[in-house]
Amino acid sequence: MLASASSAAVASSSFLPRPKPKPHLLKRLASALTPPSPLSPSTGADADADQDPTPLFLRPPAHPVPAPCLAAFRRRAAALVPPSAPHLHRHLRWLLADAAHDPDADPALLRAPLGDLEALWLRHVRDRRPFQYVVGNEHWRDLVVAVREGVLIPRPETEAVVEMVGRVEGFEAGWWADLGTGSGAIAVAVARMLGPEGRVFATDVSEVAIEVARLNVQRYEMQDKVQIRHGSWFEPLEDLKGKLMGVISNPPYIPTDDLPGLQPEVGWHEPKLALDGGKDGLDHLLHLCEGLSSVLKPGGFFVFETNGNKQSEFLVDFLSTKWDSSFHDVEAVLDFADIKRFVTGYRR
Amino acid sequence: MSQLPANLVGVMEQRMKLIEQRSAYLQEQINQPDASPEEYSRANKEFHKLESTMDMIKELRLKKEEIEGLKSLVENSVEEKDLREMAAQELLQAVDEEKRLQHNVFRSLLPKDEADERDCILEVRAGTGGEEASLFAMDIFKMYEKYSQNNGWKFDVIDIMGSVLKGYKEASGTISGPGAYGKLKFESGIHRVQRVPVTEKSGRVHTSAVSVAVLPQADEVDVQLRNEDLRIDTYRSGGSGGQSVNTTDSAVRITHVPTGTVVAIQDERSQHQNKAKALKVLRARLYEIERQRLHMDRSKLRSEQIGSGDRSERIRTYNFPQGRVTDHRVGITHHSIGDIMEGESLDIFIDALLLREEMDAISSFSS
Repeated sequence: MLASASSAAVASSSFLPRPKPKPHLLKRLASALTPPSPLSPSTGADADADQDPTPLFLRPPAHPVPAPCLAAFRRRAAALVPPSAPHLHRHLRWLLADAAHDPDADPALLRAPLGDLEALWLRHVRDRRPFQYVVGNEHWRDLVVAVREGVLIPRPETEAVVEMVGRVEGFEAGWWADLGTGSGAIAVAVARMLGPEGRVFATDVSEVAIEVARLNVQRYEMQDKVQIRHGSWFEPLEDLKGKLMGVISNPPYIPTDDLPGLQPEVGWHEPKLALDGGKDGLDHLLHLCEGLSSVLKPGGFFVFETNGNKQSEFLVDFLSTKWDSSFHDVEAVLDFADIKRFVTGYRR
Repeated sequence: MSQLPANLVGVMEQRMKLIEQRSAYLQEQINQPDASPEEYSRANKEFHKLESTMDMIKELRLKKEEIEGLKSLVENSVEEKDLREMAAQELLQAVDEEKRLQHNVFRSLLPKDEADERDCILEVRAGTGGEEASLFAMDIFKMYEKYSQNNGWKFDVIDIMGSVLKGYKEASGTISGPGAYGKLKFESGIHRVQRVPVTEKSGRVHTSAVSVAVLPQADEVDVQLRNEDLRIDTYRSGGSGGQSVNTTDSAVRITHVPTGTVVAIQDERSQHQNKAKALKVLRARLYEIERQRLHMDRSKLRSEQIGSGDRSERIRTYNFPQGRVTDHRVGITHHSIGDIMEGESLDIFIDALLLREEMDAISSFSS
C-alpha cells in the first residue's frame, strides 16, 4: 500500500522529479512491508528522538536552523509523499508548525535538531508511525492532548462523550470516573466543565498512561479537580462505592482476531493493551457492566464507547435484561457516522 | 453648528412624542404585577432599546425648559442691566447647546443597521477569469487582512481553498472588532480587475472578477439552530471507525436542511474546532438570509444597493495598467492602486459610502 507506493515512486524517476534517495534509505524502503519491531536498531538520530519522553511540541525551541535549510528539508520531505497519500502534505505543514517556534523565521528555532526531524518524517511516511506520536499531541475537542507511544490516541468519535456528560442534570457538582483514562483526554475535558464541587477520578492499569494523564492534567491545571489512580478498572475506587454521579469509559473493544488486520498506524504502533477486547471485543465492557451498579449512586449515569452496532445492541440487551433491576433508560447512541457507538443509561 | 431645517424639526418632534409615549407605555407594562415572564421580558427588552434615545430626548426637553426660563428672565429684567446681560449670555449658550442636543436626538432617530457594531465574516470567491481570478482573489483577501490590521481588528482565517502559487478559489475569514461590519459591509459585490497576469507572455491585459460577501456575525440568540435541522457529515473511514482507525482528517460539512445552506470547514486540527467554525459561518449565512428577507419588507433605506449589498452588482474596478481604482456606486476614482491593495486608502470609498447611506437615511426620515 503506502510503503510499496513510496518505493514505486522512488524507483520510477519519470513520474515526477524526485531527488535520488541515499542507498541506505533505499534498503529500508524495500523492507517496509515488514512491520518494524520495537527492538530493531534504528539510526542514532532516530533513537535519540525517541528517548526523550517529552512530546516534541513541548520541547524548548533551542535549535536554530537557517531558513534555506528548513526550506530544503521541506522540499525533501514533500518529495517523499506518495500521490496516494496527499494528507501527508497537511501533516508536514503541521509538523513544522509544532516543531518550530515560528517556521517562517530566519533562523527558525526548532524543538529538535533538523536531523531528528528528518528521521521522524521518514518513520512517519515509511513505517506508518502515527502523526500524533511524531509531534506528541492530538488535537481533540478544544484541547491539545499530549500523547506518546504506550497511550491510545484519542479518537474523534469519543468527543461526543463529553457532550453527553454535560447533558446530565447537575453534572457540574458530581463525582465522575473515567475508567481506562489513557492520555486523560476525557478526564481533562470533563473536569473543565465542572463546578467547584465536581471531581473526576481517572484510573488506568498502564504506568505510561498514568504518566501522560498526569502531564495533561497539569497542562490544563486541573490538579484540583482530577485524581489519577493507578489500577485496574474499579479496583482503585473502593472508597467511592455508591458515590459516583457518573462512570465514563472507552475500554479496549477490538476483537483479538481483528488486531492483525488493523490499519498499520493503529496495529503496528498503538498499545495492544488499549485495544484488545478479547474474543468478541466485549471482555472489558462486560467487566465494566458487572461492577457498575455498586459504584454508581442512585440516579447515576454511565456512558461506554463500543466497537459499533453489534456490541452496542448486545450490551443494551444485556443490561436491560440481566441488570434490569439496577438500570433504566439503557440505550445505544449514534456517532457522527450513524454507527451505534455508545451505550448510556441510568442507575435506578 | 447649523440649525436643523424646520421640516425635519417638525418630523422629529412627532417622532419624539411617539417614543415618549411608547416608553411610558412600556414602563407601565413592566410595572404590572400580573405580567407573564414573556410579556415582561419583551417589554423590558424594548424599553432598554429606547433608553439611550429617551435619555437624549429628556436632556433636550430640559434644555428647552431652561431656554424658556432664560427668555422670560431676559424679558422681565429690562431695568436690571447686569442681570439682563448675564441672562442673555446664558441664553445664547443654552441655544447653542440645544442645537447640539437636537442633532444627537436626530442622529439616534435615523434608521440604522444594528448589525453595524458587530464582527463580520468575509468571503471571497474567484469568479470568471481562471487562475488570474484566483490570484486576484488572494490579493483582495490579503488587502482586507491589512485593512483590518490597520484598524486594530483581529483577522482570523476560516478556510482557504487554493494555494499561494495558484491563488485562492475561495477564502473566508472572521474580522473581529467594534464596528467592523459597519465599515466592511460596503465591500459586498463584484470586484473587477484589469491587469496583465503574471503568466501572460504577450503582455495582454485580462479582465477577471472576484465576488466578495461580508456578513455580520450572528450568535445563538440571533439564529437558533435546531439539531434536527442539521445534517453533519464528517470523514468516514469506511470501516468500523472508533479505536480501529487513526485519522487526522477532521473535515466537517454541515447542511442546514430547511434552507439547503452548506458549510464545509477542514483546516482546524480537531473535528470539534472545525464544527465550531462551521456553525459560526452557518449562523452568519442564515442571519443574512433573514436580514435580506426583512430588508425586502423594509423601505427605510432608499438606496437598497448600498445598504444590503446586492451580491451580483459590480461595485469596483481595479485597473492595474492605469494604476487606479474606481468605485462605481459613488463615482470616486483613487489614483494609487498600490495604497488600496495595501489596505490603506479603502476609507476613501468607505467614508463616501457611509455619507451616502446617512443622507439616504435622512431623506427617508422625512418621507
